[in-house]
Amino acid sequence: MADANAPTKPRQVLTSGVKPIWCPGCGDYGVQAGINKALADLGIARENAVIVSGIGCSSSMPHPFSTYGVHSLHGRLLPVAAGIKLANDDLTVIGAGGDGDGYGIGVGHLVHNARRNVDITYIVMNNEIYGLTTGQTSPTSLFGMKTKSTPFGSIENPENPIGVALASGATYVARAFSGDPMHMAEMIKGGIQHKGFSIIDVFSPCVTFNNINTYDWFRQRVYKLESVGHDATSISSAMERSLETERTNWEKVPIGLFYKVERPTYAALDMTLQKGSLLKQPMPTKEKVTEILKEYL
Amino acid sequence: MTDVSIRIAGAHGDGVESSGALVIKVAAKAGLQVLAYRGYGSIIRGGHSWYQVRLGESKVKSYGEGIDILIALNQDSITNQKSHLNDKAVVIYDPSKVKADELDASKYRLIPIPLLDIAIKASGDPIMRNTVAVGAALKFVGIDIDVLSSVLKAQFGRKGDEIVNQNIKAAAEGYNYQGVQTLYTLRGDGKHRYALDGNTALSVGAYAAGCKFYSAYPMTPASSILHWFASHEDKGVMPKQVEDEIAAINMAIGASIAGVRSMCGTSGGGFSLMVEGLGLAGMIETPLVVVESQRAGPSTGVPTKTEQGDILFVMHASQGEFPRIVVAPRTIDECFSITANAFNLADRYQVPVIIMMDLYQSEHVETVEAFDVDGVKIDRGKVVTDGKDGERFKRYLVTDDGVSPRSFPGTKNLEFVAGSDEHTELGDLVTDMYAGLDWAIEVRKQMHDKRMRKIETMLKNESVFVPNVVNENAEYFFVTFGSTTDSAAEAIEILKSRGRNFGLISFSYLMPLDKEKTRKMLEGKKLINVEGNYTGQLAQIIRMNTGIEIKQGILKYDGEAFTGSEIARKALELVGG
Repeated sequence: MADANAPTKPRQVLTSGVKPIWCPGCGDYGVQAGINKALADLGIARENAVIVSGIGCSSSMPHPFSTYGVHSLHGRLLPVAAGIKLANDDLTVIGAGGDGDGYGIGVGHLVHNARRNVDITYIVMNNEIYGLTTGQTSPTSLFGMKTKSTPFGSIENPENPIGVALASGATYVARAFSGDPMHMAEMIKGGIQHKGFSIIDVFSPCVTFNNINTYDWFRQRVYKLESVGHDATSISSAMERSLETERTNWEKVPIGLFYKVERPTYAALDMTLQKGSLLKQPMPTKEKVTEILKEYL
Repeated sequence: MTDVSIRIAGAHGDGVESSGALVIKVAAKAGLQVLAYRGYGSIIRGGHSWYQVRLGESKVKSYGEGIDILIALNQDSITNQKSHLNDKAVVIYDPSKVKADELDASKYRLIPIPLLDIAIKASGDPIMRNTVAVGAALKFVGIDIDVLSSVLKAQFGRKGDEIVNQNIKAAAEGYNYQGVQTLYTLRGDGKHRYALDGNTALSVGAYAAGCKFYSAYPMTPASSILHWFASHEDKGVMPKQVEDEIAAINMAIGASIAGVRSMCGTSGGGFSLMVEGLGLAGMIETPLVVVESQRAGPSTGVPTKTEQGDILFVMHASQGEFPRIVVAPRTIDECFSITANAFNLADRYQVPVIIMMDLYQSEHVETVEAFDVDGVKIDRGKVVTDGKDGERFKRYLVTDDGVSPRSFPGTKNLEFVAGSDEHTELGDLVTDMYAGLDWAIEVRKQMHDKRMRKIETMLKNESVFVPNVVNENAEYFFVTFGSTTDSAAEAIEILKSRGRNFGLISFSYLMPLDKEKTRKMLEGKKLINVEGNYTGQLAQIIRMNTGIEIKQGILKYDGEAFTGSEIARKALELVGG
């Protein structure tokens, strides 16, 4: 395993011993290390964390952890994760998906869970390619990219996931790069600490099927928003920064915290959850059922 | 007469539904039995809609074919409903709006009442014309005006005395209008019963079983379940209207994984979107209750009309094989009791349970006896809370009965990953680096066996997976499932009055079936399947399970629900006599 960047102690705590499926050098190892470090730094007990994935290379994420996990369906990790969180608000729920999973087949759920501000942390391992299906174009593949399904070059413009998340009402929007795992762990940690829907788009290079967006390619282009005095409380500045990749034709690629705002979470506004975690609320008594039936007399 | 059918007809937006609801409430309070069904279209205003309320001295089992009293709120109502009028039917209409010229005055009792004029004089509100008409109709069936007044008082009490009194005055004007008289006297037993539709009974059943989470996307005829949960949110349930049915089922699965009893609901179109999620629940062995209220398909079909055409689809939906339970409540009472039991079955066997409703069963209103609330027991199945430190939890432990111990997130030392890929007892996948290895091949087989073995376990432990037989020594037997059953039961009574001896074999639990017991119950009998579809799907299921071929069937796929008289008539055509 290549999670050499992870601190030794927490790895012992959170590892199930199961090996993920990733190729040597895959960016997803860095994400695993980042999640591991964030959970350990925040002192979250492994029984109280649930890592939910969809389908694709990214879906391997729950398996190496000794937390609870669900390896669900392609594109559907967000509704599963939201269901878990709504049922038991005491849990820390982390979604771990990929670009095909979350920005392609499942993009509708991103929009709706962001606007609901469900208190989950959604990490998208964005490698601009379909890896596990052996290299087809993805919603974030660059225009003109040649892949197995676009041998003459893609004629579609890539999605702007940061912009989609901002426009949808996500209250914590960040981007990280697997080549900088310590910074990524900070972004993830911030997302978990944030009360509300957090998304961290992670450039997680695919070393097998994407020979364009490599570690070096990103290293030459990324810069940290923190280093340029970006105002993460301003949604218009955040939106402007999200468009920078397109405007500069991917010459300047910002990573870091784009936007963060405090807004009541879904649970805080939900009539039922205001009375406590759904799981812990009592089952209805016979008297209550009988009382309800009187409505139909 | 032992039963009378009142039909209120008008355009959508004319208050047809609220008038029907008023008749139901008054009749139930007067101690009569009621069955009411509404015909409407996919339109909010305009078009034609009707509400038939059949009142009876004893249990009413279908909405009946003919009309004894028609309240015609517009001209279309005369034109569209005249073919349904029984001889000597009463027709109440406002002569300032509706002309009855097309009706033969010697065949019917035409009762022109200036409904609008009376309403405006009584209240200034033209919509109260319906109350005037209902007042008149109830006089024809001999219901005391005091019962009507007390219902109006209860219904409008919150709006203040003035509104209450205006309604009572309007109703009384209709009741006492010249020519309005009591023609039919129904003698009920005086017992004030509950009056509710199938979706309401189902929702209360789910609530009683501790279902706290319901997710759905609006779709007729399942939407009223969402509305029920939404209007009872203050009672400790969480209704969620989500972006699509894919989210609905996956969210319910998430909530169930977390330990909360969860349900999602839809009609056939939405169920089509849920299919992949259904397989997920099957693979990760997460208990789940799904409601599928059928409407006439395929595709958008006839969205406001009923059918029983999705049974085979639902039984086989999803790739691969996994155990599931499919039920179809036959009565309003079963909508309550079987739904409550569905949650126990889902938990006990860690499988999805699909409740097959249909538009008729979801929406028709009946008077019913009190539900057996005390009979609802909650069994969460093999839930474990004590894990061993340093030892990984075998969530998918291979057991003799196929059911493995289950833990909820938040429980220490019982962590696991639920995987949609094939997995080991620990939940680790065998599909990637181990695929094709001898041990992984063995694990795949072992786990598939384990899951499928749950079918044998349920058949062994539960007594419900057989049909119900009524009148064992009958000449012929109707074979039904779900909502068609009561209409067939009514047909049997009609046939009996004509000297024919029919029995009934009905299914409320459709999958799995105890093949051997079912075969014995059907064997040697003359069977006629009665189903709301073209292909005789129940007959196919029976043949698949028992080898018995049913050669005669009464099949209906015109969008309307079966009535008892219709089944009786068609049965006589089939068997002669």
